[in-house]
Amino acid sequence: MAAPMPVCIPGRKLCKESDTHLPGTGTYTRNGFIYSSLVGTIRETTDESNVKTISVIGKENNSIIPYIDAIVVARVTNVNPRFCKCEILSVGKHHLQDAFRGMIRKEDVRALDRDRIEMHKCFRPGDIIIARVMSLGDAQSYLLTTAENELGVVSALSESGK
Amino acid sequence: MPLDTRRLTGPESSQSPYNFAPVNKLDLTQLDKRPDGRSIKKLRPLFLRTNVVSQARGSSYIEMNETKVICAVYGPREVLRREDFSLKGQLTCDFKFTTFSCRQRRQYQQDSQEKDLSVLVLEALEPAVCLHKYPKSQINIFITVLQHDGSALSAAITCASVALASAGIEMYDLVVASSAAICGSVTLIDPTAQEEDALLKATVKPDNNAGSVTVAFLPSLSQVSAISSDGELSFEILNKSMQECVANCQKLYPVLEHTLVKHQQELEAGRS
Repeated sequence: MAAPMPVCIPGRKLCKESDTHLPGTGTYTRNGFIYSSLVGTIRETTDESNVKTISVIGKENNSIIPYIDAIVVARVTNVNPRFCKCEILSVGKHHLQDAFRGMIRKEDVRALDRDRIEMHKCFRPGDIIIARVMSLGDAQSYLLTTAENELGVVSALSESGK
Repeated sequence: MPLDTRRLTGPESSQSPYNFAPVNKLDLTQLDKRPDGRSIKKLRPLFLRTNVVSQARGSSYIEMNETKVICAVYGPREVLRREDFSLKGQLTCDFKFTTFSCRQRRQYQQDSQEKDLSVLVLEALEPAVCLHKYPKSQINIFITVLQHDGSALSAAITCASVALASAGIEMYDLVVASSAAICGSVTLIDPTAQEEDALLKATVKPDNNAGSVTVAFLPSLSQVSAISSDGELSFEILNKSMQECVANCQKLYPVLEHTLVKHQQELEAGRS
């Protein structure tokens, strides 16, 4: 069995920040030092140019929230001619404990032929879609887009519900 | 406060059984030994555990002899109320004494003291949480005092910071809190409910000191995140007792560290 990795807690000083030691996830820098901001194990990754990235790996599914450019899985809840609303179920590989609200505007549905989009022909409530987060949106919902080849509806029921 | 009419209340002419209990008056200024046998500078033993509320993202339980507090952390989750767009996350706190926790029975609804304590806990924790990492979302903290035997605020702050850390919320540092009661020239560290009561009833001369202090401290950054002080205290006394509180926070820090390391090891043992 491998030796147990050192466990650190928030506020633990890890090392000095320099050109060869960069802060990774789960860390923050203060006064030129890298500190841990999570309870977790320390991981050191070295790239080709011998630069080490210090990160702290906490528990899986670590308090993740949608971020810009993330690929998300969402379920459509509401469709109207201008936009459709959906609830974001997971971000990347991580399943969310509570859903976040998202919105796809009519012009973000596809890249080509954008002025001839009819929303109700693209989405129906209950469809499972894969989308990319465009921006954090307004106070209520994240702005999503499906204007890429690999994005769009991935699972849906037929009109008769079968 | 509006009275809750849907719940059965006791008869109007009831008397607390404590009225018939023998009164043991505690004179804080003439105290050679405290009622629980501690010396005036000694903290109560601390028991901490994580993972006590299964549906919460993080939770913890703290016990300092008869003071027992449980805390659950949910989130980061979506802000449901319609509010202005904010790139910083929000922290909310709900502090509640259970109805049976104190000598005097508490109400089910949050009263003004509990609301004050919620704000104080929030003030102590906010500087420690990396709120900028959670745009547009909120983190909810729920604190329940199961049994109140003094220093509930400091126990709640310590408990909540451990719960936040165990929930995997990014933090600059843990928060440890400690309290002291001052009566005349005597400073009692980590007062019990009996001592807090005696302090309220104590008759002190106008120029004398009587009050209590709670200090929340970030141990590895060596910063004080919140101070709460009641009563009338001179600057020198307040300063001195604050320093004592900070020293006590540093004494408690290894317990928190140990608890969280154990928490992480259990998590990894469960994973493999």
